[in-house]
Amino acid sequence: MPVPDPFREGLSRGWKTYNGSQLTQDLTLEADVAIIGSGAGGGTTAEILSAAGYKVLLIEEGPLKTSSDFKMLEDQAYTSLYQEGIGRMSKDGAITILQGRAVGGTTLINWTSSFRTPTPTLEHWAKEHDVKGHSPAEMAPWFEKMEQRLGVAPWRVPPNANNDVIRKGCEKLGYSWHVIPRNVRGCWNLGYCGMGCPTNAKQSMLVTTIPATLEKGGELLYLARAQQLSIKDGKVTGLQCVAMDDRCVAPTGRTITVKARHYVLAGGGINSPALLLRSDAPDPHKRLGKRTFLHLVNMSAALFDEVVNPFYGAPQSIYSDHFQWQDGTTGKMSYKLEVPPLHPALATTLLGGFGTENAQHMEHLPHTHAMLALLRDGFHPESTGGSVELRGDNTPVLDYQVSPYAWEGLRRAFHSMAEIQFAGGASAVMPMHADARYVKTLAEARTLIDGLSLELYRTRLGSAHVMGGCAMGEDPKNAVTDSLGRHHQLSNLSIHDGSLFPTSIGANPQLSVYGLTAQLATSLAERLKNP
Amino acid sequence: MSPSLTDTPALSRRGLLKFSLGATAFLATAGLGASLSGCSSSVAANGFVILRSGDLLFLRALIPVMLEGSVAAGKMPASVDETLHCLDNALNHLSPEMLKLTQQLFDVLGMTVTRGPLTGIWGSWENASSEEIRHFLDRWENSSLSLLRMGHSSLLQLVMMAWYSRAESWVHCGYPGPPAV
Repeated sequence: MPVPDPFREGLSRGWKTYNGSQLTQDLTLEADVAIIGSGAGGGTTAEILSAAGYKVLLIEEGPLKTSSDFKMLEDQAYTSLYQEGIGRMSKDGAITILQGRAVGGTTLINWTSSFRTPTPTLEHWAKEHDVKGHSPAEMAPWFEKMEQRLGVAPWRVPPNANNDVIRKGCEKLGYSWHVIPRNVRGCWNLGYCGMGCPTNAKQSMLVTTIPATLEKGGELLYLARAQQLSIKDGKVTGLQCVAMDDRCVAPTGRTITVKARHYVLAGGGINSPALLLRSDAPDPHKRLGKRTFLHLVNMSAALFDEVVNPFYGAPQSIYSDHFQWQDGTTGKMSYKLEVPPLHPALATTLLGGFGTENAQHMEHLPHTHAMLALLRDGFHPESTGGSVELRGDNTPVLDYQVSPYAWEGLRRAFHSMAEIQFAGGASAVMPMHADARYVKTLAEARTLIDGLSLELYRTRLGSAHVMGGCAMGEDPKNAVTDSLGRHHQLSNLSIHDGSLFPTSIGANPQLSVYGLTAQLATSLAERLKNP
Repeated sequence: MSPSLTDTPALSRRGLLKFSLGATAFLATAGLGASLSGCSSSVAANGFVILRSGDLLFLRALIPVMLEGSVAAGKMPASVDETLHCLDNALNHLSPEMLKLTQQLFDVLGMTVTRGPLTGIWGSWENASSEEIRHFLDRWENSSLSLLRMGHSSLLQLVMMAWYSRAESWVHCGYPGPPAV
């Protein structure tokens, strides 16, 4: 029996949507609230505002793809569901940046890990970034609300062999490890969360908040890039969107003009500051796009005698925070340890090289495990993050420099990962670096890692968590919005996404976005009652 | 506007590029300069959406070296074709800015005037040996110019991802493919 596709069923029941690529003439749309971006922040905000009775228009640059479209094929997923056709990179091309671009945003393609914002992070924001109203106690009910809404619970099924390496290794070493809470209902444990969930088990925005919004009469415009806000006398007076072709590559020439009482920016790190930069939004203290963080990731591969099949099963189910707060909140660079799934196209680039060298690595794929470290950037004075800039065609790019402070953390992370991998039963370990090879003992791995020249391109670096760039905080000198996400200079513009974070989170950020934006949207719904 | 490559005297002296402080700046505009001066065609080759005949020349030389060891005997020509079509589709979905950078990289590799000094392959791509191609890739990976290191990284990612996206490659890596839903 085929899996039901509730989104398509909703469309056939008359949900109101506009496909930018098929517009034959320019369009004008009106709403109480226009929400730019349909990911974690936009979806959450849309559901709350439409439930409060406001007419909501959700605007998404990417295509509308639903469960029937998700074929679990890497090339189809990467070209259609990821920013820039998975070509998004830091300005120097050294860091691959994975972000979603489709209705549902990154929630459509993330690996479902759902953590509350860590307490030390919230406390750091209050203390160092003048953030008010987001203490752990104040946030707890919002996290709880969204956990219930999205079925977030620790994964009850045994971890796949790839994840189990963290458990086994940490057990043996006496390091802490835990089961990852995931936002799924009735998960089939397939392992393809990163390519769009084919069974609608993942509680992404596509199957939760967006359908709820459309049921309430909200509208969805997709394949439409929010190009520019019109700004006059401290207010947003309109939004110009350009219709995109069905590849989401080139504008078709059609435009959509949006008029709303209030505008919510929810394009995420990089795209939200970019729209404000394109719109020449007031930025008197030059904060826009600054302090953009990545949870820079490095990885370590390991070979096992037994079959790992790292492409099957829930991609992330076990983590270790053993090293995360060891040196305090603002000490040396620290990291969370998790694993990535390894499907062939992603695996070949991570394992690196070409010809017989890469072929040998790939031949062992079923026996290969990989671990990753998410570096907690933005807490130490030497970790200042990157800046969003506009390229020649007004699209954004992130200039992110890897500081000596971060490199030192990356080297320690290579050591930690190798140690846990050997303790977890690995027969050989290889840090993902151009000059590395598989070595068979921890002592050899330590010598190898200490000798690696840690530099761009040779070290394989990535990011799946773009945060910051429109930081919140009470002091306009240091922040783009106040603690309620209200733009400091534009009265009818709010920002509801991960770009608000004053630092990185120190955990996969989706639940941080859900909880924060649920809180902000509820407050916005109250404020909008009094025009 | 960038000068035409053929008017650039630096190119006629092989050793200069390696040490010139201006080399990176030169490289950054080389592809664009080539495009502006009409040295490179912008028309896609027959059967492709993005890849041009000049791109196919060096990619057909490069890909067999990159895929060596992962393709069954006798299957290389078909595998190269499958990789090229998958690559073409990937390029067709890249953002215009990333496609532009990639095509500038391809221009640098494709045109005689830049190919020799930058890759060490002075004859045509069709006649380059596997050894020469591996040497070129090694040279870029270890170049003092970050642009060449970036080019090396991009080339490898584009080609290897394209090949391992194809079901034909999965036997080699023991991947049974996605489950039935």
